[in-house]
Amino acid sequence: MLETKLISQLQKIAGKEAVLTSKEDLTTYSYDGTTTWAHMPDVVVLPTTTEQVSQILKLANENGIPVTPRGAGTNVSGGSIPIKGGIVLCTAKMNKILDINKTNLTATIEPGVVLQDFNMALAKQGLFYPPDPVSFFGCTLGGNVAENSAGPYCVKYGVTKHYLLGLEVVLANGYVMKLGGVTVKNRTGYELIMLFTGSEGTLGVITKITVKLLPMPPARKTMIAVFDDMEVAGQAVSDIMASGVVPAKIEFVDNFVIRRVEEMTPMGLPVEANALLILETDGSPAAVEADAQQIVDILKKSGAKDVKVAKDANEAAMYWKARSAGFAAVFGAAHTVMAEDVAVPRDKLAEFIRRLGEISKKSGFFIQFLGHAGDGNLHPSIFTDIRDKEQFARAQETMAEIFRAAMELGGVLSGEHGIGLEKQRFLKEAMDPVAIDIMKKIKGVLDPNNILNPGKIWEEGA
Amino acid sequence: MAITTRDRYEQIKRFEGDLSQCMKCGFCTFFCPVYQEEFVESSVARGKNMMIRELLAGELDYTKEYADRLNKCTLCMACTTNCPARANIPNVIVAARADTVEARGIKFPYNIVYRWVLPRRTLFGNVVRFASWFQGIFLPKTEGTIRHLSMFLSALGKGRQIPEIAPKFLRQVVPVVNKPPAGVETRMKVGYFTGCMTDFVLPDLGEHIIDFLNRKGVEVVVPKEQGCCGAPVFLGAGDFDTGRKMADTNVKAFEDVDYIISDCATCTSSLKDYVKFLADTSERKEAYTKFGDKVKDISEFLVDVLKLPASAYQPASEVKGKKVTWHDPCHLVRHLGIKDQPRQIIKSIPGVEYVEMPNADRCCGMAGTFSIYYYDLSKKIADKKVEAIESTGADIVVSSCPGCEIQLLDGVIRNKMPVKVMHIMELLQ
Repeated sequence: MLETKLISQLQKIAGKEAVLTSKEDLTTYSYDGTTTWAHMPDVVVLPTTTEQVSQILKLANENGIPVTPRGAGTNVSGGSIPIKGGIVLCTAKMNKILDINKTNLTATIEPGVVLQDFNMALAKQGLFYPPDPVSFFGCTLGGNVAENSAGPYCVKYGVTKHYLLGLEVVLANGYVMKLGGVTVKNRTGYELIMLFTGSEGTLGVITKITVKLLPMPPARKTMIAVFDDMEVAGQAVSDIMASGVVPAKIEFVDNFVIRRVEEMTPMGLPVEANALLILETDGSPAAVEADAQQIVDILKKSGAKDVKVAKDANEAAMYWKARSAGFAAVFGAAHTVMAEDVAVPRDKLAEFIRRLGEISKKSGFFIQFLGHAGDGNLHPSIFTDIRDKEQFARAQETMAEIFRAAMELGGVLSGEHGIGLEKQRFLKEAMDPVAIDIMKKIKGVLDPNNILNPGKIWEEGA
Repeated sequence: MAITTRDRYEQIKRFEGDLSQCMKCGFCTFFCPVYQEEFVESSVARGKNMMIRELLAGELDYTKEYADRLNKCTLCMACTTNCPARANIPNVIVAARADTVEARGIKFPYNIVYRWVLPRRTLFGNVVRFASWFQGIFLPKTEGTIRHLSMFLSALGKGRQIPEIAPKFLRQVVPVVNKPPAGVETRMKVGYFTGCMTDFVLPDLGEHIIDFLNRKGVEVVVPKEQGCCGAPVFLGAGDFDTGRKMADTNVKAFEDVDYIISDCATCTSSLKDYVKFLADTSERKEAYTKFGDKVKDISEFLVDVLKLPASAYQPASEVKGKKVTWHDPCHLVRHLGIKDQPRQIIKSIPGVEYVEMPNADRCCGMAGTFSIYYYDLSKKIADKKVEAIESTGADIVVSSCPGCEIQLLDGVIRNKMPVKVMHIMELLQ
């Protein structure tokens, strides 16, 4: 528990209503999107201005109180769990879109702006911000930067870091630092914006974000391809990428998800299919037409049992809804769902899928997976129960095997979720020890009292 | 001191499937009208559900704060409709309210209202009537023909602007049996569940509905024994015991009719909800199921049961040439899935221009007792609805839930808009 004096100081800074202390309210800031992690904060503060954030951090820094920044708590890494208690600094009320500039193709937003609200405001002006984590209805832009988030569109358009032009960051000591600007080119000094991008709230609190935008593509087309064999589907993705056409999205859904989604919301999905690829192309109408034809041809040649082009926006929306319902299908399937986030090179997809099959057979665990096949980022999941110690331990070991299989193929530990708490036990295997040491030193420079999201990314004492 | 053997979590446990369905993705934040005003996690389905899970785990207790967070929900179902896992958290919330009432009781003056006044139709009427005598004397008049409500509701409603209490209640002006006029063949017999609002505040609407149905060959029975639907009692306050008494009264009142029609979305949905929340015995389950199946919303009844031709929908004189927009009551569009029927009716009316409002199905923020407990919050939610209405340029906003209509009226008057609020049946000749 924090001293009453500190609570009243927080109230003085942010206003009485912005400081939550009841056990009921604290409970609702103890979790994120994972099924494994939870920890109660001592207090929750919802500031509305950069100045308030600055004063909160200053107070916390002087008193050595842990601060866990939080947007909407939709992350699936344990990243926003206040594992050391202390303050949850929630930016949900800093949710103004400050500027949308159609000539510069830029926008400046506060960190609590919800991605979908941002997308809707941009769409009104014919503009487009591609990074699209599947949590777009809930997730905030601040969280997107802190986690360097991405989604299906990254096949063609890249991830959050590719769109950042400027940041305002409050450092652990309360100093408000401005980085970058609104220009597309900026070669002034180190790329410090990148330091805070994907920093998972351990280096500073992001209070303002300037991103670059694209014009909304005038046309798009959705296709689905049904496969009997998951490996064949994986190979088809490699074939498409090698053919010179770059779809906007290529998503992979397995039989488990097809069935579960169809159970939850019947929409006529092919429940017998072992794998389903959902693809989209976008651009000018003529280019979309040509790309779609080329993709359909390749899919058929690669062994797809059935290929369908959505005839209208409604049908397309249905397939994408099935995809976004996929994670609900997975996360609702068991008491504890361990979701991997490995990414492998795209030309190793089929091989990786084959190895997943072997690991499943050997371990006895059913391995479900769906994901962003177009960028090699699959999400293999294991259904377990954290209350069953023996089984949970085996599940963890199986997860380790999956991760190692990905690494052997030249892959990475986390494609988009971040390390947080969920993946930190693997960090030493996934990263050069010197690089980990440099990260710790950077942390020491920016946050010498270790108040910002302590206990995340690397294991303590390790 | 009586020893209770009742499970502290009896009702919640009946909805454990819904409780465990949430996987905390947070999509509901985007659709929750309360979260969109407050931006705190305890406002939204995910947060409430997690509090309830922690209660079951023994980490939280039936505190004042817990009860308050549970109450702060309009039960609009927007979370469920947009939930990737289809988790029905409103079910869990209603059940949790019921367990909270068992554990904590209901505080004054709500206990008097829920347990004594609402279940007794005559008493309720008299209280409302008694208060209405004074409303013109003690309370300031507002613009137009609208006055502050009776002292009774005003005390609870903190000055909400709603229509005045009718000089004579519907039950006092219409007979029990209303047969079609001479020369019109009787096609079927329906019971009319009048609801408190139509009975006490809008008796003209009730008379009009009876007349309309009579002209279409429907005999309308208005049982005097019927009472309040119970929504504020069992859904709002979680008082299931009183709710059961009210449900039993209504079931008994409507024993021998083909259908039971209602002009109030909340009543319609609540009557159908008896079986879900209140059926504690197999007899009740059977009776409530049979009863609920007979209940039809008025627009659903006209379109799906009577299957009236488009020509049956002729404009009332005051709506000719007007621009009309429709507000979906949560209890119709999401609880019952009734979306197309009212639009079909309005679009059929010659000489009326229909315009769809943005987010027509977004909650207006009334939600009965919610708007009494949290009037300021309720007003903020209503203001978004008012903005949507304004953007259509409509002359009339139509709904079929007197609760919503009060809220829309309150919002329109507060924002000084020249827009009329009407019930869908008032559009018809």
